[in-house]
Amino acid sequence: MSKYPEYSHEKSRAWFDRALNVIPSGVYGHLGPSEGLFLPLEKWPLISSRAEGTYFWDMDGNRYLDFMCAYGPNVLGYSDPDVDKAAMEQLKIGNCTTAPSYKMVECAEMLVDTVACADWAFFMKNGTDATTFANLTARAATGRKKTIFLRGYYHGNQPWAMKADYPGILSEEVANNIVVPWFDIDALEKAWDYAKGDVAALIAQPYDHGNFSDNRCATKEYWAQVREFCTKHGIVLIIDDVRAGFRLDLAGSDHYYGFKADIICFCKALANGYNMSAACGIESLRSAASSLSFTGSYWMSAEPFAACLATVEKMKKLDTPKLFRQIGTSLTDGFVAAGKVHGFDLKVSGEPALFYLRIANDDSLMLHQEWVAECVSRGLFITSHHNHFINAAVTKEDIALAVDIAEDAFSVVASRHEDLGLKR
Amino acid sequence: MIETKAMAFVNMYGVLGALENLCQIDSEAKEILKGLKKPVSLCFCVKDGPCCTFHFTKEGCRMTEGESGCSSKMSFSSPEAFNNLIDKSKPGMPTKNPVQVLTFLLGTFTKLTDRLNEILRPSEEAMKNRAFFEENTTLTLYTIAGAISALANNDSISKISADYTVDGDISLGIKDTAYITLRVKDKHFTTIKEKCENPRAIMEFADLDLAAGLFAGKVSTINEMCKGTIRLSGMISMLDNVNRILDRVSVYLG
Repeated sequence: MSKYPEYSHEKSRAWFDRALNVIPSGVYGHLGPSEGLFLPLEKWPLISSRAEGTYFWDMDGNRYLDFMCAYGPNVLGYSDPDVDKAAMEQLKIGNCTTAPSYKMVECAEMLVDTVACADWAFFMKNGTDATTFANLTARAATGRKKTIFLRGYYHGNQPWAMKADYPGILSEEVANNIVVPWFDIDALEKAWDYAKGDVAALIAQPYDHGNFSDNRCATKEYWAQVREFCTKHGIVLIIDDVRAGFRLDLAGSDHYYGFKADIICFCKALANGYNMSAACGIESLRSAASSLSFTGSYWMSAEPFAACLATVEKMKKLDTPKLFRQIGTSLTDGFVAAGKVHGFDLKVSGEPALFYLRIANDDSLMLHQEWVAECVSRGLFITSHHNHFINAAVTKEDIALAVDIAEDAFSVVASRHEDLGLKR
Repeated sequence: MIETKAMAFVNMYGVLGALENLCQIDSEAKEILKGLKKPVSLCFCVKDGPCCTFHFTKEGCRMTEGESGCSSKMSFSSPEAFNNLIDKSKPGMPTKNPVQVLTFLLGTFTKLTDRLNEILRPSEEAMKNRAFFEENTTLTLYTIAGAISALANNDSISKISADYTVDGDISLGIKDTAYITLRVKDKHFTTIKEKCENPRAIMEFADLDLAAGLFAGKVSTINEMCKGTIRLSGMISMLDNVNRILDRVSVYLG
């Protein structure tokens, strides 16, 4: 008998059907059923009505304890009062204006003071904008063509950052991409030789936090070697900190791993859900950054800058990286113990602030997907394929609730698979 | 862009490979086979391309890789020449038992491939017949299944998808109708026209009508996934990659 009754989603489904009528796929991308892996679909909330703190509610009024945090932007808690106050006050006095607001300057100064490698900051809207800007800057600065990627990469959805087998992508658009394995310095040198030195940039996330596989943390030694490789060959080292940025270290994930990036890209945790991204870079790349033709209609809007200033100030005050490590460790320890009670071998990988989960009793993820679905349909929102996110509004009571729902879901899956002899 | 060599593999494993299933499920094909005086094992050997033998008996057709056990053989000087057999009915050079090759090729084989073509490239009128529609959809599944592995192993774009596919068996099927297994080992795909015993990933279409719509490109895979009419389970990254290869299949077979 399940302690937490399953939710029903009639109203959410009705709204989703309306979406399907007018939007391709209804909800496309990572927030939708396809990329978000809503397996099976009926277990998932499809459309939300509101959000607060670490919870959101669907159209049926079901409440979800959310460890995806809108896939990262929710870093302090949904509708954080301090951030919202700063944003609303800014809205009243000016937002999208012909001459950009002084808030942009304040925001850039704050980032230069906060981010270890930053001598300047450049603003845009999405993570893709930031990584694209970084790659263009590297090409402009070096006059070279090629970019080295680490296998399993995701640096946004511009053609240059995708693969030739993706729909709509031309082979020519990715012809200058070289892919090497993670944690293989020899492969980097081989890539350099293969490209005959025509390498503008190496772009990487701070550690291997790819989907569908256990996440692999980097070491300071590894990054020191990569840094040395890039410096030796004049390659621009770009850290895509869109996902991990400000969750490991407020000075940047390069700082966390003990090295200095040439350009670092931020987005998700930058403004607690207000729409902006940023790239920060070193002095020697300022001129190349200035030379780009790269802008957008809303890129200098003031409201997100005000939100960003309030967000970073609050993250500093709370020491969110330390907090996230503690919450992540406590939460995943609880999940592992709950799984063990019912015979499940739950593996936790990656940095605790962005933990990745996998039930290792089978290699197909089918048991894992079942467990995740039972968690979600009881109000604990996690995913089966992607790392998770923590926000500062999570309390000890939330952690206890999450572990309790997780255990309940484990019991449901275990009772469905008595033939597997999980407890033996 | 269609690559000639990859097309030859699609023609061998996808199109001609469907003869196995045609002879299993189609009554007209079964009648044609009854006219066989003795078993024939015909090998199609393509220089710098695929080489397979089709074993025809009164009971059916079986395809094996290589030329082992063939009673007659037709050689093709290039993948392009082999593709002409499929596209323009231009035969290759009989290099073993030429009399049997030509007799069989112009007789039973042509009748079977004509029937296969009739089912795989149907008229709108024919598709109004439910039994014919079901046969078309089932044979299309088998053709696509053969083409998936052919492309995963030979088409330069599909090989990127294959390179990112982890080892294991993928179950692909139409619920309660037809299933195939895609076996992936060290980036190499093999199509097995049997239901998968121990899948690492599952993609199952709710019914024949949905499958037919997907094969014809009339409905969107993503849209149907969102509606829940395509069941997905397991290592979804494998299915992601198969979906990308399916895009290429439609380029080759479209």
